[in-house]
Order: sequence, then structure tokens, then C-alpha cells
Amino acid sequence: MAEAVGTWLGAFLTLCIFSFLYRDNPFFRFAESLFAGISLGYYIGIVSNNTLGPNLFQPLFTDFSGRAHLLIPMLLGLNLYTRYLPKIAWLSRISLAVYIAYYVGINMVQKLQGEVVPQVGQTIMNPIGGTYTPIDNLIIIVGVLAVLVYFYFSIEHKGVMGPVSRLGIWFLMLGFGAAFGYTVMGRVSLLIGRMNYLFLETVNATVAVF
Amino acid sequence: MQLERLANIDRRVVYLLIAIGTTLPILLPIGFAVSTTPPVENLYHKIEGCGTDDVVMISFDYGPTTAPECTPMAEAVMRHCFSRGVKVIVLALFPIGGVTMAGETVENISAEYPHLRYGEDYVFLGYKDGAQATMKQMGVAFSGVFPRDQMGTALEELPLMQRVRNYENVSLIVSIATNVIGEWWANLVNAQFGTPVAVGCTAVSAPKYYAFLDTGQMLGLLGGLKGASEYERLILDGYPELRRIYNRTGVYNAMKGMDAQTVDHAIIMIFILFGNIVYFLIRRRDRRLGTA
Repeated sequence: MAEAVGTWLGAFLTLCIFSFLYRDNPFFRFAESLFAGISLGYYIGIVSNNTLGPNLFQPLFTDFSGRAHLLIPMLLGLNLYTRYLPKIAWLSRISLAVYIAYYVGINMVQKLQGEVVPQVGQTIMNPIGGTYTPIDNLIIIVGVLAVLVYFYFSIEHKGVMGPVSRLGIWFLMLGFGAAFGYTVMGRVSLLIGRMNYLFLETVNATVAVF
Repeated sequence: MQLERLANIDRRVVYLLIAIGTTLPILLPIGFAVSTTPPVENLYHKIEGCGTDDVVMISFDYGPTTAPECTPMAEAVMRHCFSRGVKVIVLALFPIGGVTMAGETVENISAEYPHLRYGEDYVFLGYKDGAQATMKQMGVAFSGVFPRDQMGTALEELPLMQRVRNYENVSLIVSIATNVIGEWWANLVNAQFGTPVAVGCTAVSAPKYYAFLDTGQMLGLLGGLKGASEYERLILDGYPELRRIYNRTGVYNAMKGMDAQTVDHAIIMIFILFGNIVYFLIRRRDRRLGTA
């Protein structure tokens, strides 16, 4: 029964959200606010139970001297909240600086080693070799060069640069078109999921109760 | 005036038609054929090449908001692994709902394989915050970042985790992802640790993932509901015993979803064509009348 009530509640909230398609209304705003609030509460609960508990508090409670180094990230985390105390708000910047430095370090290597180098390497290709046909290779080479020219703003797009830049726009538009097609597919999939919930899961749950 | 009326159809009429186009195929499945593509086949063949000693890691990097696309992928990949006896490690790196999605999927799919034992054949590590930092640390030792599994059992007490220390002991990572986390498995874990990575992603993010596929940083890609339906087709052809699961009436899967997807796409295309035809008719009429 509890499961069915949960399903009915989900169906009601789904209809509240769908009601926006007709026009803005209090039911939509209620469901929207509820979703935002529940998401935040869920996130706090998950982080407490899955990260702070097993990775910070439990190790400290069971073996404090051996895990004392965990106090450093804990203090850095708590220090973030000093921003709410105007007189010592500047202290929170220390924690932010450590946080930013860590992720800048990770991202620099990640982006260069994992994206820039492999992507550039794949683009520097033998026009008549590799896994693609020569026509595919030609399209890739021309497309990359044309788009790069479009984004090269140090020279005015006149003369030779003009048509090449316009060709770059065409390639960009083709890319956006493919992305838009995928976006439509993604959004329709979400609608299918909701309709399935309304027409199959809700009915199944109701039938199971009665 | 007639043309203007056609050019300004109330958008709610479009919504209504899309709602009908979505609902009817759900209630009355059509069964359109699903053809498969190499990015999906590559992942299927990779798992086909895995044996009972191999370990596949499935990362739930999505939440309930994209579940209709992502859950069928996760379920199909997990069923494939379980059908072959491949060991599975499940984790979640997406904060809003990832661990719930992972928990539900593990519970549902493992119930279909009652002979498999938790801790020996599959393990559910749970969720951890800070995706990139977590991924990086798992390259050293899983236990460093996941000291306990989702049920609170210490990792060293789980037989499977006794022989899996880090990525070196993992044959394949499959990230079922929304947005950027799947990308990190390719440009961080694959790039720095060399572990093969495949991604099942939402359709919205699929175009950017093709770049990683071309460089070989990902060996397979399931793009949106279509990718999920292709994988379902492949496992149904390879494992006919799964038909009893996928043919259940009243239960959603990607192949059934593709029926509604196809009908909706047809409606959208008709409206795009219709809108353009009306636009050009109005332009031609205005030119003729000299009002343009």
C-alpha cells in the first residue's frame, strides 16, 4: 500500500509539472519548489551518509591518532562557513584557494593529456589512410580548418578568410543540427518515461492495491 | 488570414499531439525493428570477450531526471555481465539520485539471477562525493576512497574486493552518465590509467562523446534511448532466455520506448515541414502583394 501511495504521489506531482504546459499555476510552483527542496535535502543526506560518515567521522572515532590527518580537510571544510561571519569572512578564502588549486591541478593535466593531445593527434591525420575513407578524411580536415578560421579573430574575415569562415559556419550549423536532433531525442525520451509512469506504473500499482 | 492562422497554431495543440503520439505506442506497442551500430556493438563484444574472472565496473553517473534513457542501458549491461558470470562492481558518482538509481537497479537485476552471491559475484560500493578526486584515488586503491560498501561492510571482508585493489584489476569501466562525468572516465581514468572505458550517455550529451570514441579513449558508446534499445536487441539475440524479462507486458524498456520515440519524431518532422511550407507561402504571397 505504501508503495502505491508513493506512486500516486509521484503521478500527482508529474501532473502538477505538466500543468505548466497549459499555463503557469500554483500546482506547478508547488511541485517545482518541492523538487528543489527535496533535492537539496537528499544531497545533504547522501553526502553525510556516504562521504562524511565513512570517510571522515568513522575513521576518526575508531582510530583518531592514526587518522589525525583527516582533521585538515575537516577544518578546511568548516572554515568555508566563516564567510557568514563578516569580521572573519576572509578566512574562508583559504579553503577556497586550496579547493580551487586542487581542481585546477587535476583539470590541467586531465584536459591536456586526456583531451587536447589525443584530439589534436587524431586530427593530424594521413588523408588517404586510417580508419576512415579518403572522403571522410577530407571532410574532417576541411571542417576543422574552416571552423578554426571562423574562430580566428586576429584577422578580419575578408578575402580568402571570408568564404573559408562562412564554410566554417556551415560546419558549425551541421554540428548544431546533429546536437539539436539528439536533444529532441533526449527530451522525448524523458516524456516517454513520464508517460510510462502515468499510464503503466501508476495503473499497475493501483491494480495491485485493489 | 488563413495562412496566418496556420502559422500561429497554438503550441498546446502540438503538446497534445505529442502526448497522444507518446501514449498510444506505450499502450499499444508497435514493435519497430531496431538496427545496431558499431559503437554499441563494440561494448557488447568487449563484454562477450570477458570471462568469469573478469571484473566490469558500472558507474551510475546519472539521476532520476534522466532515468528513462539511462536505466535501460544500466540494466542491459548488468544483465549481460550477470548472464556471462562476469563480476560486477557498482558505484555511483552523481550526487542527486545516483546511488538510489544504482541501488534499485542492483536490487532488481540481481533478483533475476538468484544464484549470484553478493560480495563474490557483485559488489555495490555506493556513492562518493567529488567525482574527479574519487576517480583519481581509485587508481591507487578502491579502499582508500570506499572503505566500506553501501551496506557498511568493510571492503576487505568482501571476497571480490580482496582481489580487486585498483583499476589494474578491472577489465572494463562502463559509465552510465548524464552530462560530464562520463567524459571524466575517458579523459582522466582512461588517459592516466589505461583502463578501457565505455559510456552510455543521455542523447543530449552524445555528440560530444563521439570525439572520445574516434580517439580510442572510449571503446563503446550508447547514445540515448536508441543506444539502449540497440544494446537490448544485442543481448536478446545473444541470450534468448532474457526474452521472458523483456517481453513482460506493462514493463518499460528501451525497445518499447523507441516506438513512441519514432512516432514523436514523425510528428515533430511533420510540424517542422508544415511550419516551413507555411512560412514560404506567406513570403511568396506578401511579395506578390508587395507588402514584404
